[in-house]
Amino acid sequence: MISPVKRVAPKYFLGALASLALLSGVASAQDYPRRPVELMVAYPAGGSTDIGARMVAAVAEKLLGQPVVVVNRGGAGGQVGWTELSRRRPDGYFIGFINLPATSTVILDPERQVIFDVDAFVPIINQVLDPGAIWVRADSRYQSLKDLVEAARKAPNTIRAADTGILSDDHLAILMLEEAAPGAIFRIVHLAGGAAQMQQIMAGNVDVAFDNVGSIVPRVRSGEVRALAVLDDRRSKFLPEVPTAVELGYPGVISRSARGIAGPKGMPAPVVRKLAEVFKKAMENPEHVSRMESTGLALKIMVGAEYERYYQEAHAQAKKYVEWARSRPRK
Amino acid sequence: MESLAHLLSGFAAALGPAYLAYAFAGCVCGTLIGVLPGLGPAAGTAILIPLTFQLDPTGAIIMLAAIYYGAMYGGTITSVLINVPGEAASVMTCVDGHQMARQGRGGTALGIAAIGSFLGGLAATCALVMIAPPLAKLALKFGPPEFFALMLLALCLVSGLAGRSLAAALLMTVFGLLISLVGIDPVRGAPRFAFGIADLYDGFGIVPVVMGLFGLSEILLTAEQPTRDIVRTRLSALLPSRDEWRRSWGAIWRGTGIGFGLGLIPGIGAIVPTFMAYIAEKRLSRTPERFGQGAIEGVAAPETANNAYANAAMVPFLTLGIPSSPTIAVLMGAFIVNGLTPGPFLFQERPDLVWTVIASFFIGNAILLVLNLPLVGLWAKILHVPFKYLAVGVLLFCLLGAYSLQQSVFDVWVMIAFGLIGYVLRKLDLPLAPLVLGLILGPALEKSLRTSLEMSAGEYAIFFTRPLCLALLIASALVLAGAALQVARTAWRGVIFDRAAERGGREP
Repeated sequence: MISPVKRVAPKYFLGALASLALLSGVASAQDYPRRPVELMVAYPAGGSTDIGARMVAAVAEKLLGQPVVVVNRGGAGGQVGWTELSRRRPDGYFIGFINLPATSTVILDPERQVIFDVDAFVPIINQVLDPGAIWVRADSRYQSLKDLVEAARKAPNTIRAADTGILSDDHLAILMLEEAAPGAIFRIVHLAGGAAQMQQIMAGNVDVAFDNVGSIVPRVRSGEVRALAVLDDRRSKFLPEVPTAVELGYPGVISRSARGIAGPKGMPAPVVRKLAEVFKKAMENPEHVSRMESTGLALKIMVGAEYERYYQEAHAQAKKYVEWARSRPRK
Repeated sequence: MESLAHLLSGFAAALGPAYLAYAFAGCVCGTLIGVLPGLGPAAGTAILIPLTFQLDPTGAIIMLAAIYYGAMYGGTITSVLINVPGEAASVMTCVDGHQMARQGRGGTALGIAAIGSFLGGLAATCALVMIAPPLAKLALKFGPPEFFALMLLALCLVSGLAGRSLAAALLMTVFGLLISLVGIDPVRGAPRFAFGIADLYDGFGIVPVVMGLFGLSEILLTAEQPTRDIVRTRLSALLPSRDEWRRSWGAIWRGTGIGFGLGLIPGIGAIVPTFMAYIAEKRLSRTPERFGQGAIEGVAAPETANNAYANAAMVPFLTLGIPSSPTIAVLMGAFIVNGLTPGPFLFQERPDLVWTVIASFFIGNAILLVLNLPLVGLWAKILHVPFKYLAVGVLLFCLLGAYSLQQSVFDVWVMIAFGLIGYVLRKLDLPLAPLVLGLILGPALEKSLRTSLEMSAGEYAIFFTRPLCLALLIASALVLAGAALQVARTAWRGVIFDRAAERGGREP
């Protein structure tokens, strides 16, 4: 018996091979995933992005039919992890968390010399939207945001305001408040993160802290700290009694930290759809919802065009303040 | 004595079969994590968090805490046996621990480490129960300026690590500090000395550097001496002799004090107490020249200190809700995921849970001792493996360890490069420990200096107007002056550094 392959001319054979390869490409998108999916977190294990990732991964892998392995690529404020995410093959087997506006500010800071751009990532689905908050120790003399701003106007560059790192969302929030309250200038202290902030506030080494609602909810409830304002367009359901900065007459002071999953640019559309669908189901799972609630992290699921639009808007807003951070008056 | 009553009921709960099993499982996992160099306690704990979702919060926290202090002990085993610190807190143990192993006293080294860890952990937990809350408030006074002054003091004390000469120790410290500058600027966020290589943005990882410096260089050096192959360990010699006990006893209590005191200060890290405890022993010893040659105090002090530290670090965490190390931050995540917020209110809201967990610290420390003493003989048998086989094993262990840390091939190259650097340095008889200290303290020193100056808008007066900070600065100056006096006295006698070797680090 003659094999059918021998009868076809070589060029047809090559053509057939090429189309076969193409077909298998489509097929691989259809029967995706066939092996474990890695979910990268650009921070070390144990942070709130990491905890959120592990919670959703535990549910998503049951729906996906393949293990979802959380891998930590911490370092350089996320730059190490995002550099890797931008370089990986866009086949859906390596996806990762992007943190807005942190990913944007890393891209926008010329000193960072990053090798990726804003469109290096395809946003898939957002998990958490955590608004900023301004807070002081419970016995602080600043009873309201107005007190704080007045004091910063009266004695510029004396009130020590802590953020969670240079060009973090909290740093940008301080700049936004300074912009909305002309004449108020803070002495900005860049601390390493939420734990360092809590420590220095309690010890009285800084006067006011800018961080996210998720980091302070239990402390506000226990009465150790006082939240002066939430930096969102609406009140936080975790702190319903705390006014927003917008309500208090500082329009534009809206600073949020968003965490969602993205992949490298060029992923096949069916793969993106499948991932968005699976992770949406996972995030809506009651177990996931209740665990996120108990940690004080506000779930905000955004997919498709909605998340893409948020990503671009957050980037544009970050761009404005990153530029402003460089030219900011000091005295 | 309300807390005593709480503690007793905590014991009653923690001794239940389920909680005992969790503590035991945690100790086993922790020891393994400590032994594997690629998996530090923080990463190990984080990976196991989802596992604990199935348990009740108390059980979950008991298990995670057991992993944490289990890892502190596990790192010792590889330090002693093959000169590879399983995690950073065991670096100091390499210096004398591995020398002891080479002299056939590996079992004793592991034995004293287990006993010291147990006593240190026990004493620190007792202190936690009795005097924790007021002390934690005091430790909070450590702001960035005090932190900077303390780091400076640690660097000045490095003169105590001088083996052959003070100059060599200082040279190595500066070398370590210089290496620590590579990577992203901790305040501005700009890369330094990275030459556009993204892997360098995060600087050199401590673990690959340490594994190369100590472990790989050891293989290279040993390979040059074909005569040495099998070390005979007398299994009967697992427990320290009477003389060794006498030497270790003081070291264990001083190690506990240093570990506990520094553990109260958030952000110190596990490695600084081990260095401090080692230096203290060497300074206090009448025979400092034995250090580096297999002195049992050189194992007992740092090993006790790191366990006392691990338990003391729970104080700011449980009483103030401030995680003082990456591992505890992970633990805090586990608390929060389980709906608990560490802090003063946890003691009031869930005393049952807090005291059960504290009781489990006592039990966990006892489990570690029971688990590890019988295993010491087994571990020590590794030393009976002929060098040609052992070397291949150690090499593989280092390569895999460096890689698995971040699944990064770059870290493997770092490990190899520092193996060669370590080889050259040891050939030149330059001490390695000050290099590691410089590398570790560098970023903390820089960050605290710059944060202090941000707080004061650039005024250096901030360092001299805070009493605690000023006291630490004066102490640093005194240590340096003492060291300078020592050098001057040596020079006065017409002898430069060589003769100083015989005098070692004796008090001026």
